[in-house]
Amino acid sequence: MSSLLSVRDLVKHFPITRGVFGRPVGAVRAVDGISFDVKQGETLGLVGESGCGKTTAGRAILRLIEPTSGQVTFDGVDVLSRDPARLRALRRRMQIVFQDPFSSLNPRMTVGAIVREGLIIHELAEGAAAHARVKQLLEEVGLRPEYATRYPHEFSGGQRQRIGIARALAVEPSFIVCDEPVSALDVSVQAQVINLLQDLQRDRGLTYLFIAHDLSVVEHVATRVAVMYLGHIVELAGAEDLYAEPFMPYTQALLSAVPIPDPQKRKQRIVLTGDVPSPANPPPGCPFHPRCHHPAKDAACARITPPLETKADGHLAACIKQPPTRITWEEQLAAGATHRPERYVPLALAARS
Amino acid sequence: MMLVRWALAIALSAAVAAAVGRLWARMGAGGGPWGTALARLRRDRGGMVALHFLLFVATVALFARWLAPFDPNVQLDIINLASRPPSVAHPFGTDIYSRDVLSRVVHGTRISLSVACLAILLSITVGTAYGTSAGYLGGRADAVMMRVIDALLSIPRILMLLAIFALWGRVSLGALVLILGLTGWFATSRLVRAQVLSLKTEEMVVAARALGARHRRIVWRHILPGVTSTVVVAATLGIGNVIILEAGLSFLGVGVQPPTASWGNIISDGASNVAGLWWMSLFPGLAIVLTVMAFNIIGDALRDALDPREIQPA
Repeated sequence: MSSLLSVRDLVKHFPITRGVFGRPVGAVRAVDGISFDVKQGETLGLVGESGCGKTTAGRAILRLIEPTSGQVTFDGVDVLSRDPARLRALRRRMQIVFQDPFSSLNPRMTVGAIVREGLIIHELAEGAAAHARVKQLLEEVGLRPEYATRYPHEFSGGQRQRIGIARALAVEPSFIVCDEPVSALDVSVQAQVINLLQDLQRDRGLTYLFIAHDLSVVEHVATRVAVMYLGHIVELAGAEDLYAEPFMPYTQALLSAVPIPDPQKRKQRIVLTGDVPSPANPPPGCPFHPRCHHPAKDAACARITPPLETKADGHLAACIKQPPTRITWEEQLAAGATHRPERYVPLALAARS
Repeated sequence: MMLVRWALAIALSAAVAAAVGRLWARMGAGGGPWGTALARLRRDRGGMVALHFLLFVATVALFARWLAPFDPNVQLDIINLASRPPSVAHPFGTDIYSRDVLSRVVHGTRISLSVACLAILLSITVGTAYGTSAGYLGGRADAVMMRVIDALLSIPRILMLLAIFALWGRVSLGALVLILGLTGWFATSRLVRAQVLSLKTEEMVVAARALGARHRRIVWRHILPGVTSTVVVAATLGIGNVIILEAGLSFLGVGVQPPTASWGNIISDGASNVAGLWWMSLFPGLAIVLTVMAFNIIGDALRDALDPREIQPA
């Protein structure tokens, strides 16, 4: 399958300014050079802790935030160099569903007006035709068509999220960034919304970038998963591979925190120590090294920035201590290494399967 | 005859109030955020009393010609009727030129109220436009625009006004409205700008951008409606200030020019007389106090009813 979306070295730095004249004194490296492809019809999961840059990445791809540098190609079109008028046409094909079902809907507009907005902006339908289309969209996301005359505050979180999905679908996009679409919902409602998203994907051949911090949700929906840490992608693999044998110690720690729905199984958790470093002042070398539990971690980890490289078939990870790696032992020694790379899978994860 | 007319005026304002109430009830049933806010306002006893009073004042202003027993500028009988205290024929007394003070207060209502309303309309419009531009543009444009506001706000308004009048002397009513309006929008623009800054980062605005909405659509459909409640409250509370300011300027002799009556210059006429015609200060003074108080009460009630946190119940 071909790539619908391709992201190369995407960077977003937010300048930190001080004083009346806005003198820049540094930058928050929210997204610090990420690259990935999203294939036609697949769901790429993008996971990571809050503050790791996943939302910024999603918005920078859609140019809702202007990226600092990098390249985004959508269906052969260079997104970042498009002028505003032509970008507007492109927006019809790339949509977004937001995390917060309360702040993402205008409280002063009726549900019908909210869903209709895209139709009007892109002149897809007017008057009675638009009205009929809105009703059809509402039905498609599992809401009653007569809800069109009501206001958002009359609905529950799950229903509001469906309204947000209908708004995105109105312009018939082929790609949707789902920015934590279920994180704000009750667990019982999460499943319904996820099922809706999956049904829509199947019926309309949609491609998703699914941003989440809940690994079990992503395991359920994603074809492939990218793990972000401090603005970097540290592991990228098919969902099954990633959950079966994670390479990057950070991914291992994240997975060990996923609850196993079996009371018989006991498991050990890898508890990370310390906090996520500030993206305004990231650690040198591997961004994860100050919190890493890999037994071979040594001084080289603080000096060498690990490349995102192939560890197994279709499985990319960024760790110089998990073989194979293209950083040779000589290079590691020169950077002060004391431990040879060795394959490490914590016991905690062995219990999962 | 006069009593009948006043009774009619009171009945008319009550009827308007009732009609407005019915309209609200229908809007409230519609369920929109404004409907619920208006329903909340209806339950505010103080606010409703103030609203009734203001409707009455507005009726008086509108029908001044029929409600004033005499021509406000005619000297009735300079020999026998000058400087008379309140009586049945002249409930508010007469001034030193034997003009009927009630008639002058009634006509003054018209002048004072329309000057204040037009001035506040002007300053709200300018302030909203300026504040929205600054907040929406952001960055350097915003910084420059707000420094200008800081500078303008550092000059006391009354000083600014007196300087203007020192420059131009006596001015027409239209010019007075312009001057009051164009010196009153600085604080409003700041308020609006702050609101716009927070609104434009909300996900609903990001969603509109993601849909490909143009700036004009985003501002008109998604930002300005969110600012309205702030602006309505600011206008209602501001109108009291403008009434007082206009009265003060007229009292000082630079506002509304005699013989045209305004609340301020009637008081001034009374105060400049050594005999101390208390009725000439008391009645227009009461009109000012009650009207300003009513505007402030209704402003507070509106603020409570339109509380943005209440508009989006969780």
